[in-house]
Amino acid sequence: MKEEKTEIKGALGNVYIVQRIAILLAVIAMFFPAFNPARICELISENLSLFTSAVSYSSLTDGCARAFRMGWIDESVFMVIFVASIVILLGIILGVAGGCMSLGNLKMQKTGLLFSMGSGLLQIAGSVIHFVSYTMAQNAENAERVKPIFANAIILYIVIGVVVFLVSVFLFIKLPKPDSNMKYEMESKYKLFLMFLPFAALAFVFCYLPLWGWRYAFFDYKSGGSLSMDNFVGFKWFAYLFQNAATRNDIVRVLRNTFAMSALNIFTSWIPMMFAVFLCEVKNMRFRRFVQTFTTIPNFISWILVYAIALSIFSTDGFINTFAKEFGLLAEDATGTNYLMGNSFTWVKMWLWGTWKGVGWSAIIYIAGISGIDQQLYEAAEIDGAGRFQRMWHITLPGLTPTFFVLLLMSIANILTNGLDQYLVFKNAQNVKTIEVLDLYVYNLGIGGSSIPLSTVVGMFKSVISVVLLFGANGVSKKLRGESII
Amino acid sequence: MAKTAQEKLDEKKEKEYKKTHKNFYKTKPGDVLFNVLNYLFFTLFTLTCIFPFYYLFINTISDNDLVKRGLINFYPKGINFNNYLALKSVNDLGYAFVVTISRTIIATVLMVVASAFVGYLVTKQEMWKRSFWYRFLVITMYFNAGLIPWYLNFAMLGLTNKYTAYILPAIVAPYNIILVKTYIESIPGELEESAFIDGASHMTVFRKLIFPLSKPILATIAIFGAVGNWNSFQDSLILMQDSHLFTLQHRLYIYLNQSSNIQSVMQSGGSAAVSAMEQALNAKVIKYTISMVSIIPILLVYPFMMRYFEEGIMLGAVKG
Repeated sequence: MKEEKTEIKGALGNVYIVQRIAILLAVIAMFFPAFNPARICELISENLSLFTSAVSYSSLTDGCARAFRMGWIDESVFMVIFVASIVILLGIILGVAGGCMSLGNLKMQKTGLLFSMGSGLLQIAGSVIHFVSYTMAQNAENAERVKPIFANAIILYIVIGVVVFLVSVFLFIKLPKPDSNMKYEMESKYKLFLMFLPFAALAFVFCYLPLWGWRYAFFDYKSGGSLSMDNFVGFKWFAYLFQNAATRNDIVRVLRNTFAMSALNIFTSWIPMMFAVFLCEVKNMRFRRFVQTFTTIPNFISWILVYAIALSIFSTDGFINTFAKEFGLLAEDATGTNYLMGNSFTWVKMWLWGTWKGVGWSAIIYIAGISGIDQQLYEAAEIDGAGRFQRMWHITLPGLTPTFFVLLLMSIANILTNGLDQYLVFKNAQNVKTIEVLDLYVYNLGIGGSSIPLSTVVGMFKSVISVVLLFGANGVSKKLRGESII
Repeated sequence: MAKTAQEKLDEKKEKEYKKTHKNFYKTKPGDVLFNVLNYLFFTLFTLTCIFPFYYLFINTISDNDLVKRGLINFYPKGINFNNYLALKSVNDLGYAFVVTISRTIIATVLMVVASAFVGYLVTKQEMWKRSFWYRFLVITMYFNAGLIPWYLNFAMLGLTNKYTAYILPAIVAPYNIILVKTYIESIPGELEESAFIDGASHMTVFRKLIFPLSKPILATIAIFGAVGNWNSFQDSLILMQDSHLFTLQHRLYIYLNQSSNIQSVMQSGGSAAVSAMEQALNAKVIKYTISMVSIIPILLVYPFMMRYFEEGIMLGAVKG
């Protein structure tokens, strides 16, 4: 049986696109607090989106406990707002269903259009109820305290609702009546796409949407405040980064720490490779397995636990001190030294912890690489009289160079990214100046010091430079080896 | 196993060869030295990896009085498990366990199923704009808006201080999707084709054929996902204010940074007679015990899963 041609071409198709875009707008707006038709008075948080208003009554009435208690406004108004939000939410869900069905065959499209009509009507109805609740708020007993405001998003949803409804009715009339024995069907390519869509949406929300947060860099934003044209400051924070002496000094210090610790890692990145090379010289497979198993474990515990271990070994009452006391190297009643405090050799200490945690794990990839080298090469070299180290130098290391090169390029691309956890847990009052890497600085500035715009600016620079470095490293790899690394 | 005549002949030849080239195969003193040093190095390094865990453990099961005097350095004395029982009375630790265990299970299961499903979908050439959508997912691995925008995004979506903030972002994991996709592409296409000819839908093929066949790779990503979730700390630290929603690592971080005053860690109640010194000491042992409890699951799981971990890193290396 030949599959029926289901796509609508030309003018009707374009009208369909209008409907889909309208629904998409409604879906996106649903998650943005700026477009919340439910915010009809200032009691409702301005950080509340329509979606949250519709699924969580407690979030909706978060700041209203006092208002209800004092009788400024009747709680029934909020019930009405809640119901109206649910109605719009249902409308949007119905619209999404209708939009998805518009990809099917004629019969499916017809049913989808009925859904879309319902969607339009529900959105209009919900918006109207919101408007009613707004007038109720205006007539509340203490309207001055409630501060009713007209949510512009009400108009937005009415417009979307009307567009969706009219377009659906128009298409419904225009489309021919399907055969009575027609079945619901959809082309496989659209079916697959629709199955994929929810995951694309999740990726969009959690990976792409944060980029929208970059706008905070252009505002004079205080935690809990809002963004408006009043506090728009353009590139003030970008300039501030370079003009303010204190910040500039901080940045220089932080970058020095970042580069120093990354450089230590890059210059010692041959260590896992040598670890693997020498481990493969161990001919006792049991012992080798044992070493491999236990040296990789530290890689799988969190930095918090590494810190817990560090405390148990190096703190005042940790292993080093109690051991020294037990063997008389330290007086019984002496206060031990806390080796974790102090500001000396912070970079090296951090590198040592990183190496302790990671070397066994990083070696695995080289061990696999070594087992992939042709054994005949070794036999031939042995017969030619090559010693152990000559074999390592002339056979093993050249065999591992490609892997080493790729990992080296990746670590150069990640030069600005040291991670947050390690430096956060090992930070203390004495080493704070030398341990603060870029990631930690951004965290301290944004979450700790609540200078959100400035830390966003720093983060933006970091993100952009990292991407440039990554593509640079990729370019180098392509040029030298003809292979890309990403 | 019986050896063939040819093999026997080969062995004989080899022995003869070794006899005539005795000098060549004799162990040289340099080799002995090398082996000794090599074994010594790896033994020492492995010890530095094991000893801290062992040290923590013997201190948690020894007599607390001896621990206080710093006498437990190499082996436990006065073995008891009271410290582990005492964890019951540590504030909020129960919540941390419930949150961490539940999120590890839920997020890992959802991530594995989603990775398998999406990995399967993106192998389907006929999907509408397939290569665009695949790139749409893959690109997210290479950029990152930054910590603060990430936080602001959660705040905007109203996900701060919500348990769902642990689950939802974990579902789509692009790297794992690539691994699964690569694996599925290595499954012979004829299997799928014959299923389609028999009238199976995409869903049926996925459930009955692709999912069971990709179990090895799914096990690998499941283990990595579970370890990642168990160790999760940043999301709890930045997104959560409600202390009942803190993860185990976050709890541990708080305890480690607290003053050694036991009162701040333990629930107060009827222990006024305990001297301040003992309190301080108990706090130390309690910290050790909590650390131990959060390490144990990984230590238990690890030796059995070593194979999957290694497979994981190798797959990462060959991905295209």
